[in-house]
Amino acid sequence: MPDEVRPDVRAAEPSPRRQRPRSRSHNAASRRVSSLRRSQRRLAGEEHPRAVTVDEARPAAQPAGRTSEAADAARSTRARLRASLLHPGRGQILAAIILFIVGVAGAMQIHVNTADDAYASARREDLIQLLDGLSAESRRLEGEIAQLEQTRSNLQSGADTQRVARSEAERHLTELSILAGTSPAAGQGIRMRIADPKAAVDARVLLDAVEEMRDAGAEVIEVNNTIRVVGSTWFGSDARGLLIDGKLVSRPITLEVIGEPHSLEEAARFRGGIVSEITGPRIGGQVQIEQEDRVVIESLHTSRENQYARPAPSPSTPR
Amino acid sequence: MIPLVGLLAGIVLGIVLEPSIPQVLQPYLPIAIVAAMDALFGAFRAYLEGTFTDRVFVVSFISNVLIASAIVYVGDQIGVGSQLATGVVVVLGIRIFTNAAAIRRALFHA
Repeated sequence: MPDEVRPDVRAAEPSPRRQRPRSRSHNAASRRVSSLRRSQRRLAGEEHPRAVTVDEARPAAQPAGRTSEAADAARSTRARLRASLLHPGRGQILAAIILFIVGVAGAMQIHVNTADDAYASARREDLIQLLDGLSAESRRLEGEIAQLEQTRSNLQSGADTQRVARSEAERHLTELSILAGTSPAAGQGIRMRIADPKAAVDARVLLDAVEEMRDAGAEVIEVNNTIRVVGSTWFGSDARGLLIDGKLVSRPITLEVIGEPHSLEEAARFRGGIVSEITGPRIGGQVQIEQEDRVVIESLHTSRENQYARPAPSPSTPR
Repeated sequence: MIPLVGLLAGIVLGIVLEPSIPQVLQPYLPIAIVAAMDALFGAFRAYLEGTFTDRVFVVSFISNVLIASAIVYVGDQIGVGSQLATGVVVVLGIRIFTNAAAIRRALFHA
Protein backbone atom coordinates (compact mmCIF):
# COMPACT_ATOMS: atom_id res chain seq x y z
CA MET A 1 0.00 0.00 0.00
CA PRO A 2 1.39 3.37 -0.89
CA ASP A 3 1.70 5.57 2.14
CA GLU A 4 0.29 8.71 0.62
CA VAL A 5 -3.04 6.97 0.04
CA ARG A 6 -3.83 6.34 3.70
CA PRO A 7 -4.99 9.75 4.85
CA ASP A 8 -7.59 9.93 2.07
CA VAL A 9 -9.15 6.63 2.86
CA ARG A 10 -9.12 7.23 6.57
CA ALA A 11 -10.94 10.46 6.03
CA ALA A 12 -13.39 8.86 3.68
CA GLU A 13 -14.47 6.05 5.98
CA PRO A 14 -15.16 6.80 9.56
CA SER A 15 -18.60 5.19 9.65
CA PRO A 16 -17.94 1.51 10.55
CA ARG A 17 -16.09 2.46 13.67
CA ARG A 18 -18.87 4.69 14.82
CA GLN A 19 -21.38 1.98 14.10
CA ARG A 20 -19.81 -0.68 16.25
CA PRO A 21 -20.86 0.18 19.78
CA ARG A 22 -24.44 0.56 18.70
CA SER A 23 -24.60 -2.81 16.98
CA ARG A 24 -23.13 -4.55 19.97
CA SER A 25 -26.04 -3.55 22.13
CA HIS A 26 -28.67 -4.85 19.76
CA ASN A 27 -29.81 -8.38 19.38
CA ALA A 28 -28.52 -10.82 16.74
CA ALA A 29 -30.91 -9.90 13.97
CA SER A 30 -30.24 -6.23 14.24
CA ARG A 31 -26.52 -6.96 14.37
CA ARG A 32 -26.76 -8.84 11.12
CA VAL A 33 -28.72 -6.00 9.56
CA SER A 34 -26.25 -3.45 10.78
CA SER A 35 -23.30 -5.44 9.49
CA LEU A 36 -24.94 -5.76 6.11
CA ARG A 37 -25.65 -2.06 6.13
CA ARG A 38 -22.08 -1.43 7.13
CA SER A 39 -20.68 -3.40 4.25
CA GLN A 40 -23.14 -1.72 1.92
CA ARG A 41 -22.01 1.65 3.15
CA ARG A 42 -18.43 0.59 2.79
CA LEU A 43 -19.07 -0.41 -0.80
CA ALA A 44 -20.80 2.85 -1.59
CA GLY A 45 -18.71 5.25 0.42
CA GLU A 46 -15.28 4.17 -0.56
CA GLU A 47 -15.73 4.12 -4.23
CA HIS A 48 -14.98 7.76 -4.97
CA PRO A 49 -11.79 8.43 -3.04
CA ARG A 50 -10.42 5.03 -4.00
CA ALA A 51 -11.19 5.47 -7.64
CA VAL A 52 -8.80 8.36 -7.72
CA THR A 53 -6.04 6.80 -5.69
CA VAL A 54 -6.02 3.42 -7.40
CA ASP A 55 -5.94 5.01 -10.79
CA GLU A 56 -3.06 7.13 -9.66
CA ALA A 57 -1.23 4.26 -7.99
CA ARG A 58 -1.34 1.70 -10.74
CA PRO A 59 -2.37 2.86 -14.11
CA ALA A 60 -0.45 0.02 -15.73
CA ALA A 61 -2.45 -2.62 -13.91
CA GLN A 62 -5.62 -1.76 -15.80
CA PRO A 63 -5.68 -3.23 -19.28
CA ALA A 64 -7.18 -0.98 -21.90
CA GLY A 65 -9.93 -3.39 -22.97
CA ARG A 66 -11.40 -3.94 -19.49
CA THR A 67 -14.97 -2.87 -18.97
CA SER A 68 -15.73 -0.13 -16.54
CA GLU A 69 -17.84 -2.47 -14.35
CA ALA A 70 -14.97 -4.85 -13.86
CA ALA A 71 -12.69 -1.98 -13.02
CA ASP A 72 -15.24 -0.69 -10.54
CA ALA A 73 -15.58 -4.10 -8.92
CA ALA A 74 -11.83 -4.52 -8.69
CA ARG A 75 -11.57 -1.10 -7.23
CA SER A 76 -14.31 -1.87 -4.71
CA THR A 77 -12.65 -5.07 -3.45
CA ARG A 78 -9.27 -3.42 -3.25
CA ALA A 79 -10.77 -0.45 -1.50
CA ARG A 80 -12.43 -2.72 0.99
CA LEU A 81 -9.11 -4.43 1.60
CA ARG A 82 -7.35 -1.16 2.10
CA ALA A 83 -10.07 0.21 4.31
CA SER A 84 -10.04 -2.85 6.50
CA LEU A 85 -6.31 -2.63 6.78
CA LEU A 86 -6.64 0.85 8.16
CA HIS A 87 -9.81 0.45 10.17
CA PRO A 88 -9.88 -2.99 11.76
CA GLY A 89 -13.25 -4.10 13.02
CA ARG A 90 -14.40 -6.78 15.37
CA GLY A 91 -14.30 -9.33 12.59
CA GLN A 92 -10.66 -8.64 12.02
CA ILE A 93 -9.83 -9.13 15.64
CA LEU A 94 -11.71 -12.42 15.61
CA ALA A 95 -9.92 -13.40 12.47
CA ALA A 96 -6.65 -12.45 14.10
CA ILE A 97 -7.40 -14.67 17.08
CA ILE A 98 -8.37 -17.57 14.88
CA LEU A 99 -5.37 -17.10 12.65
CA PHE A 100 -3.25 -16.98 15.77
CA ILE A 101 -4.64 -20.35 16.79
CA VAL A 102 -4.09 -21.72 13.31
CA GLY A 103 -0.55 -20.38 13.32
CA VAL A 104 0.24 -22.01 16.63
CA ALA A 105 -1.33 -25.26 15.50
CA GLY A 106 0.49 -25.19 12.18
CA ALA A 107 3.83 -24.48 13.77
CA MET A 108 3.15 -27.21 16.31
CA GLN A 109 2.22 -29.70 13.63
CA ILE A 110 5.24 -28.83 11.51
CA HIS A 111 7.42 -29.15 14.57
CA VAL A 112 5.89 -32.50 15.46
CA ASN A 113 6.26 -33.65 11.86
CA THR A 114 9.92 -32.72 11.61
CA ALA A 115 11.22 -33.21 15.14
CA ASP A 116 9.41 -36.39 16.11
CA ASP A 117 9.85 -39.41 14.00
CA ALA A 118 7.01 -40.41 11.78
CA TYR A 119 5.86 -43.12 14.18
CA ALA A 120 4.66 -40.87 16.99
CA SER A 121 1.57 -39.72 15.12
CA ALA A 122 1.05 -42.89 13.13
CA ARG A 123 -2.12 -44.90 13.53
CA ARG A 124 -2.13 -48.32 15.06
CA GLU A 125 -2.81 -50.07 11.75
CA ASP A 126 0.05 -48.20 10.14
CA LEU A 127 2.32 -49.17 13.01
CA ILE A 128 1.28 -52.79 12.72
CA GLN A 129 1.95 -52.65 9.01
CA LEU A 130 5.36 -51.11 9.67
CA LEU A 131 6.11 -53.80 12.21
CA ASP A 132 5.05 -56.50 9.79
CA GLY A 133 7.26 -55.04 7.12
CA LEU A 134 10.18 -54.82 9.50
CA SER A 135 9.86 -58.38 10.70
CA ALA A 136 9.52 -59.63 7.14
CA GLU A 137 12.62 -57.66 6.26
CA SER A 138 14.54 -59.07 9.20
CA ARG A 139 13.47 -62.59 8.25
CA ARG A 140 14.70 -61.96 4.74
CA LEU A 141 18.00 -60.62 6.07
CA GLU A 142 18.41 -63.60 8.38
CA GLY A 143 17.95 -65.88 5.41
CA GLU A 144 20.55 -63.89 3.57
CA ILE A 145 22.95 -64.18 6.51
CA ALA A 146 22.49 -67.95 6.60
CA GLN A 147 23.10 -68.15 2.87
CA LEU A 148 26.23 -66.04 3.13
CA GLU A 149 27.54 -68.12 6.00
CA GLN A 150 26.94 -71.22 3.93
CA THR A 151 28.87 -69.66 1.10
CA ARG A 152 31.67 -68.71 3.45
CA SER A 153 31.98 -72.25 4.84
CA ASN A 154 31.87 -73.57 1.29
CA LEU A 155 34.70 -71.29 0.34
CA GLN A 156 36.67 -72.28 3.41
CA SER A 157 36.22 -75.96 2.77
CA GLY A 158 37.11 -75.26 -0.83
CA ALA A 159 40.33 -73.67 0.36
CA ASP A 160 40.89 -76.71 2.58
CA THR A 161 40.31 -78.99 -0.35
CA GLN A 162 42.77 -77.02 -2.36
CA ARG A 163 45.34 -77.20 0.42
CA VAL A 164 44.88 -80.97 0.73
CA ALA A 165 45.16 -81.33 -3.01
CA ARG A 166 48.34 -79.30 -3.03
CA SER A 167 49.98 -81.33 -0.25
CA GLU A 168 48.86 -84.49 -2.01
CA ALA A 169 50.41 -83.24 -5.21
CA GLU A 170 53.62 -82.43 -3.37
CA ARG A 171 53.68 -85.90 -1.90
CA HIS A 172 53.15 -87.32 -5.40
CA LEU A 173 55.93 -85.13 -6.65
CA THR A 174 58.43 -86.50 -4.13
CA GLU A 175 57.32 -90.05 -4.86
CA LEU A 176 57.59 -89.52 -8.56
CA SER A 177 60.92 -87.81 -8.27
CA ILE A 178 62.17 -90.83 -6.33
CA LEU A 179 60.77 -93.09 -9.03
CA ALA A 180 62.22 -90.92 -11.74
CA GLY A 181 65.53 -90.94 -9.95
CA THR A 182 65.88 -87.23 -9.67
CA SER A 183 66.17 -87.19 -5.91
CA PRO A 184 68.16 -89.32 -3.47
CA ALA A 185 66.39 -91.97 -1.46
CA ALA A 186 66.97 -94.02 1.64
CA GLY A 187 65.14 -96.86 3.32
CA GLN A 188 65.26 -100.48 4.20
CA GLY A 189 66.13 -102.90 1.48
CA ILE A 190 68.70 -105.40 0.30
CA ARG A 191 72.18 -105.35 -1.12
CA MET A 192 72.86 -108.03 -3.66
CA ARG A 193 76.37 -108.79 -4.79
CA ILE A 194 76.74 -110.84 -7.93
CA ALA A 195 80.17 -112.39 -8.30
CA ASP A 196 80.63 -113.28 -11.92
CA PRO A 197 84.03 -114.78 -12.59
CA LYS A 198 83.19 -115.91 -16.14
CA ALA A 199 81.73 -112.54 -17.03
CA ALA A 200 78.72 -114.41 -18.23
CA VAL A 201 76.13 -112.13 -16.75
CA ASP A 202 74.79 -110.24 -19.72
CA ALA A 203 72.23 -107.56 -20.17
CA ARG A 204 69.33 -110.00 -20.34
CA VAL A 205 70.22 -111.52 -16.97
CA LEU A 206 70.61 -108.12 -15.40
CA LEU A 207 67.29 -106.98 -16.84
CA ASP A 208 65.66 -110.09 -15.46
CA ALA A 209 67.13 -109.33 -12.07
CA VAL A 210 65.87 -105.75 -12.12
CA GLU A 211 62.42 -106.82 -13.29
CA GLU A 212 62.15 -109.41 -10.59
CA MET A 213 63.15 -106.84 -8.01
CA ARG A 214 60.49 -104.55 -9.40
CA ASP A 215 57.92 -107.29 -9.32
CA ALA A 216 58.78 -107.81 -5.67
CA GLY A 217 58.03 -104.20 -4.92
CA ALA A 218 61.40 -102.55 -5.36
CA GLU A 219 61.05 -98.84 -5.27
CA VAL A 220 64.57 -97.66 -5.99
CA ILE A 221 67.29 -99.71 -7.66
CA GLU A 222 70.91 -98.77 -7.99
CA VAL A 223 73.66 -100.65 -9.73
CA ASN A 224 77.24 -100.49 -8.49
CA ASN A 225 76.48 -97.47 -6.36
CA THR A 226 76.62 -95.29 -9.48
CA ILE A 227 73.80 -96.13 -11.84
CA ARG A 228 70.24 -95.33 -10.88
CA VAL A 229 67.77 -97.63 -12.52
CA VAL A 230 64.61 -95.79 -13.59
CA GLY A 231 61.81 -96.40 -16.05
CA SER A 232 63.81 -95.39 -19.08
CA THR A 233 66.95 -97.27 -18.15
CA TRP A 234 68.23 -99.58 -20.87
CA PHE A 235 70.55 -102.52 -20.64
CA GLY A 236 72.95 -103.52 -23.35
CA SER A 237 76.46 -104.60 -24.10
CA ASP A 238 79.18 -103.72 -26.49
CA ALA A 239 82.79 -104.73 -27.02
CA ARG A 240 83.89 -103.33 -23.70
CA GLY A 241 81.29 -105.20 -21.75
CA LEU A 242 77.98 -104.63 -20.02
CA LEU A 243 76.33 -101.22 -20.38
CA ILE A 244 73.51 -99.64 -18.42
CA ASP A 245 72.33 -96.31 -19.73
CA GLY A 246 75.53 -96.08 -21.69
CA LYS A 247 77.72 -96.57 -18.63
CA LEU A 248 80.08 -99.48 -18.31
CA VAL A 249 79.25 -101.83 -15.50
CA SER A 250 82.23 -103.19 -13.64
CA ARG A 251 82.22 -106.62 -12.06
CA PRO A 252 81.32 -107.78 -9.51
CA ILE A 253 77.93 -106.19 -9.82
CA THR A 254 76.24 -104.79 -6.75
CA LEU A 255 72.54 -104.12 -6.75
CA GLU A 256 71.14 -101.93 -4.03
CA VAL A 257 67.37 -102.11 -3.82
CA ILE A 258 65.00 -100.24 -1.53
CA GLY A 259 61.86 -102.12 -0.78
CA GLU A 260 60.50 -104.69 1.61
CA PRO A 261 63.72 -106.69 2.36
CA HIS A 262 62.19 -110.06 2.96
CA SER A 263 60.02 -110.18 -0.14
CA LEU A 264 62.91 -108.83 -2.21
CA GLU A 265 65.21 -111.58 -1.00
CA GLU A 266 62.54 -114.20 -1.54
CA ALA A 267 61.95 -112.89 -5.04
CA ALA A 268 65.63 -113.27 -5.74
CA ARG A 269 66.00 -116.69 -4.24
CA PHE A 270 62.96 -118.56 -5.42
CA ARG A 271 63.58 -121.70 -7.48
CA GLY A 272 64.21 -120.76 -11.09
CA GLY A 273 64.71 -117.17 -10.05
CA ILE A 274 67.63 -114.89 -10.52
CA VAL A 275 69.84 -116.51 -7.91
CA SER A 276 69.42 -119.99 -9.26
CA GLU A 277 70.04 -118.72 -12.76
CA ILE A 278 73.27 -116.99 -11.79
CA THR A 279 74.52 -119.80 -9.67
CA GLY A 280 73.52 -122.26 -12.37
CA PRO A 281 76.01 -124.01 -14.57
CA ARG A 282 75.70 -121.59 -17.48
CA ILE A 283 76.88 -118.54 -15.53
CA GLY A 284 78.58 -120.13 -12.54
CA GLY A 285 78.45 -117.04 -10.40
CA GLN A 286 77.65 -116.44 -6.80
CA VAL A 287 75.02 -114.26 -5.26
CA GLN A 288 75.28 -112.77 -1.83
CA ILE A 289 72.21 -111.01 -0.44
CA GLU A 290 72.14 -108.90 2.71
CA GLN A 291 69.06 -107.39 4.21
CA GLU A 292 69.75 -103.88 5.35
CA ASP A 293 67.80 -101.61 7.61
CA ARG A 294 69.00 -98.59 5.78
CA VAL A 295 70.09 -98.48 2.22
CA VAL A 296 71.11 -95.04 0.97
CA ILE A 297 70.97 -94.42 -2.75
CA GLU A 298 72.48 -91.16 -3.78
CA SER A 299 73.18 -91.56 -7.43
CA LEU A 300 70.77 -89.61 -9.60
CA HIS A 301 69.32 -90.11 -12.97
CA THR A 302 69.62 -87.00 -15.06
CA SER A 303 66.41 -86.74 -16.91
CA ARG A 304 66.57 -85.20 -20.30
CA GLU A 305 64.35 -82.28 -21.05
CA ASN A 306 61.62 -83.37 -23.40
CA GLN A 307 62.24 -82.03 -26.83
CA TYR A 308 58.68 -82.10 -28.14
CA ALA A 309 56.31 -82.99 -25.38
CA ARG A 310 55.14 -80.20 -23.12
CA PRO A 311 52.79 -80.41 -20.19
CA ALA A 312 49.29 -79.63 -21.45
CA PRO A 313 47.01 -77.49 -19.33
CA SER A 314 44.98 -79.92 -17.34
CA PRO A 315 41.24 -79.88 -17.95
CA SER A 316 39.51 -77.95 -15.23
CA THR A 317 38.56 -80.48 -12.64
CA PRO A 318 35.51 -79.89 -10.47
CA ARG A 319 36.44 -79.29 -6.89
CA MET B 1 -3.44 -6.18 9.10
CA ILE B 2 -4.41 -7.40 12.51
CA PRO B 3 -5.19 -10.94 11.25
CA LEU B 4 -1.81 -11.05 9.59
CA VAL B 5 -0.17 -9.92 12.81
CA GLY B 6 -2.14 -12.60 14.65
CA LEU B 7 -1.01 -15.28 12.20
CA LEU B 8 2.62 -14.23 12.47
CA ALA B 9 2.41 -14.05 16.25
CA GLY B 10 0.91 -17.53 16.33
CA ILE B 11 3.63 -18.99 14.11
CA VAL B 12 6.39 -17.31 16.12
CA LEU B 13 4.86 -18.44 19.39
CA GLY B 14 4.47 -21.98 18.09
CA ILE B 15 8.09 -22.07 17.01
CA VAL B 16 9.53 -20.43 20.12
CA LEU B 17 7.48 -22.10 22.85
CA GLU B 18 7.11 -25.46 21.08
CA PRO B 19 3.89 -26.32 22.84
CA SER B 20 2.90 -29.96 22.80
CA ILE B 21 -0.61 -31.19 22.33
CA PRO B 22 -1.96 -34.26 24.09
CA GLN B 23 -1.08 -37.54 22.45
CA VAL B 24 -4.75 -38.34 21.96
CA LEU B 25 -5.35 -35.28 19.80
CA GLN B 26 -2.21 -35.59 17.78
CA PRO B 27 -3.65 -37.54 14.83
CA TYR B 28 -6.42 -34.96 14.40
CA LEU B 29 -4.30 -31.82 14.36
CA PRO B 30 -3.37 -31.99 10.65
CA ILE B 31 -7.00 -32.51 9.68
CA ALA B 32 -8.02 -29.65 11.94
CA ILE B 33 -5.45 -27.39 10.29
CA VAL B 34 -6.74 -28.24 6.83
CA ALA B 35 -10.30 -27.56 7.98
CA ALA B 36 -9.19 -24.25 9.48
CA MET B 37 -7.53 -23.32 6.20
CA ASP B 38 -10.78 -24.05 4.43
CA ALA B 39 -12.67 -21.82 6.87
CA LEU B 40 -10.11 -19.06 6.47
CA PHE B 41 -10.24 -19.12 2.69
CA GLY B 42 -14.03 -19.17 2.82
CA ALA B 43 -14.02 -16.20 5.15
CA PHE B 44 -11.66 -14.25 2.95
CA ARG B 45 -13.80 -15.01 -0.06
CA ALA B 46 -16.93 -13.89 1.75
CA TYR B 47 -15.16 -10.77 2.85
CA LEU B 48 -14.13 -9.92 -0.70
CA GLU B 49 -17.66 -10.56 -1.91
CA GLY B 50 -19.04 -8.35 0.80
CA THR B 51 -20.96 -11.04 2.63
CA PHE B 52 -18.56 -11.55 5.51
CA THR B 53 -20.01 -11.91 8.98
CA ASP B 54 -17.79 -12.47 11.93
CA ARG B 55 -20.32 -14.71 13.65
CA VAL B 56 -20.62 -16.95 10.62
CA PHE B 57 -16.85 -16.99 10.39
CA VAL B 58 -16.30 -18.08 13.96
CA VAL B 59 -19.06 -20.66 13.85
CA SER B 60 -17.92 -22.06 10.52
CA PHE B 61 -14.35 -22.20 11.70
CA ILE B 62 -15.14 -24.10 14.87
CA SER B 63 -17.65 -26.40 13.24
CA ASN B 64 -15.31 -27.15 10.34
CA VAL B 65 -12.49 -28.10 12.65
CA LEU B 66 -14.71 -30.11 14.95
CA ILE B 67 -16.54 -31.95 12.20
CA ALA B 68 -13.37 -32.81 10.34
CA SER B 69 -11.73 -34.10 13.51
CA ALA B 70 -14.88 -35.97 14.48
CA ILE B 71 -15.10 -37.66 11.11
CA VAL B 72 -11.54 -38.85 11.41
CA TYR B 73 -12.09 -39.90 15.01
CA VAL B 74 -15.13 -41.97 14.07
CA GLY B 75 -13.18 -43.41 11.18
CA ASP B 76 -10.42 -44.39 13.57
CA GLN B 77 -12.92 -46.09 15.83
CA ILE B 78 -14.43 -48.15 13.02
CA GLY B 79 -11.13 -48.92 11.35
CA VAL B 80 -11.26 -46.69 8.27
CA GLY B 81 -9.46 -43.74 9.83
CA SER B 82 -6.80 -43.23 7.20
CA GLN B 83 -9.28 -43.54 4.34
CA LEU B 84 -11.68 -41.05 5.94
CA ALA B 85 -8.80 -38.70 6.66
CA THR B 86 -7.86 -38.87 2.99
CA GLY B 87 -11.47 -38.21 2.01
CA VAL B 88 -11.75 -35.22 4.33
CA VAL B 89 -8.50 -33.77 3.06
CA VAL B 90 -9.62 -34.22 -0.54
CA VAL B 91 -12.99 -32.55 0.06
CA LEU B 92 -11.47 -29.70 2.01
CA GLY B 93 -8.77 -29.33 -0.62
CA ILE B 94 -11.42 -29.02 -3.34
CA ARG B 95 -13.23 -26.40 -1.26
CA ILE B 96 -9.98 -24.52 -0.68
CA PHE B 97 -9.31 -24.46 -4.39
CA THR B 98 -12.85 -23.25 -5.13
CA ASN B 99 -12.51 -20.50 -2.54
CA ALA B 100 -9.08 -19.60 -3.85
CA ALA B 101 -10.52 -19.34 -7.37
CA ALA B 102 -13.28 -17.04 -6.09
CA ILE B 103 -10.73 -14.92 -4.23
CA ARG B 104 -8.61 -14.69 -7.33
CA ARG B 105 -11.60 -13.62 -9.39
CA ALA B 106 -12.59 -11.04 -6.82
CA LEU B 107 -9.10 -9.62 -6.48
CA PHE B 108 -7.85 -9.70 -10.06
CA HIS B 109 -10.96 -10.45 -12.11
CA ALA B 110 -9.02 -13.17 -13.80
